[in-house]
Amino acid sequence: MGDAFDQAGLIDLAELPDAAQDFDAFLREIRDRFGVDHVAYAGMNPINRSVIGHVTYGKDWQEHYATQGFHRIDPTLHSARRSIAPVDWSRLERDLDYLTVFRSAHDFGISDQGVTIPVRGPYGDIGGLSLTCGGSKTEWKALCRENLHVWQALSVHVHDLVISSDSFSSLLRGPSMSMREREILQWTAEGKSQQDIADILTISHRTVEVHLRSARHKLYALTTAQAVGRAISMGLIYPG
Amino acid sequence: MILIVDALNKHKFPMVLDQMFRLRARVFAGRLGWDVTITDGREEDQFDALDPAYVIGLDEAGNVVACVRALQTTGPHMLSDVFHAILDGEPPLRSATLWESTRFCVDTERLGRGRSRGSVTYATSELMLGAVEYAMRSGISDVVTVIDPVMDRVLKRSGNAPYDYVGKTVQMGKVAALAGLLDCTEERAASIREVAGIEGEVFLTDDEALALPAIAAHVPRKSALETYCDEQIAAARNVDERIAALKLKAALADKIRSHSQVGA
Repeated sequence: MGDAFDQAGLIDLAELPDAAQDFDAFLREIRDRFGVDHVAYAGMNPINRSVIGHVTYGKDWQEHYATQGFHRIDPTLHSARRSIAPVDWSRLERDLDYLTVFRSAHDFGISDQGVTIPVRGPYGDIGGLSLTCGGSKTEWKALCRENLHVWQALSVHVHDLVISSDSFSSLLRGPSMSMREREILQWTAEGKSQQDIADILTISHRTVEVHLRSARHKLYALTTAQAVGRAISMGLIYPG
Repeated sequence: MILIVDALNKHKFPMVLDQMFRLRARVFAGRLGWDVTITDGREEDQFDALDPAYVIGLDEAGNVVACVRALQTTGPHMLSDVFHAILDGEPPLRSATLWESTRFCVDTERLGRGRSRGSVTYATSELMLGAVEYAMRSGISDVVTVIDPVMDRVLKRSGNAPYDYVGKTVQMGKVAALAGLLDCTEERAASIREVAGIEGEVFLTDDEALALPAIAAHVPRKSALETYCDEQIAAARNVDERIAALKLKAALADKIRSHSQVGA
């Protein structure tokens, strides 16, 4: 297990001085890292009902999409986000809305082969990361199978950062860490390995991993090292 | 066989969901005596309104024999909002790759004894396998499951023992509840398959499920007009023709609806 992102070499948004400006750059990083055609994020803040989108699509498609009002009918936004599991676009019904959006997308060279990974936050905030890629169906399925767990984590990461970039919501979203999560981060800060910590706390290695993953999520951290750094700076744990 | 029903396909399976909520009422309010709300013979709570995914076990005729509900731990779920006593005042785990499973139940009235297909044991294992494989397919690495001590023992003897527990066992009304952790891995799937002797694909496609007799019997009969419209849609040779056929059906929607009401 360990940090899938350490190997992935992705930049971490929360480390950037002006994160909001760089969501698009982050999506481009994801696009290039996984070799897909395009990556898009859309989310809704339930408090002020604002919809936030970031995409790697070209300006021409973005403008066409906006003037046609496709955001009102786009099934990758409206249907996909009601699932709890990633939705391969082949699952979407070929209805009028679908065909209207995708016939037009086709004219702009955008494939209808894609997946949307829906996110639900604790305050009714919803969002989703979409990846699209033309080419062979077999290769697409293999790419999904191999990377879906990383895309899951990335989708939630982007969502949390976008939603919390709104100042009001960020007040609600301070990390609420359990004793166990703090304890495990503390031992990590002391330089203990996951196996050491499992032995010290007499829990399984996998339980340590699950709590670390939850701690990273709550601290908007992609890696354990970042989570430890943030937990120290917030006074949740002591320096090792 | 296992059918996944979520917000995207639930309009196709109202009869399956209805049977599932009735099964939950019989099991959780009846047999287990949990403090749950029953309306019109159905057990539904606020989490069913949040578009969860249901992993549903069907018998060969298409009757619901087992079910379990999955929710994301990043959003509202039972451990964070209802079962927090288990966590003893601690905040819940939240992770993109961790799902919560709740309301696991099996129809002991419809199913028989023994270990073969059609038995309680087989249906229980098949549902566990369906849940693990569905989670794996969705990029999920672990599941936290809220269970009672009886279910905990069932998991253990099905080759599906929790690798650990979070929080503590607490008394919830007449019964005790606890939260177990299950990894979603090939090893676990293989272990469940081996104990129960399950081979091959367990998932049904939507179309396969709709063809099962108990489900097909409840699909509303189409009027001649709707049948004509659907034939036009199916016969479309390209996107433009398909759009035209869909628009025709949309334009006739009022007529189609009044016809099928007469037919019903």
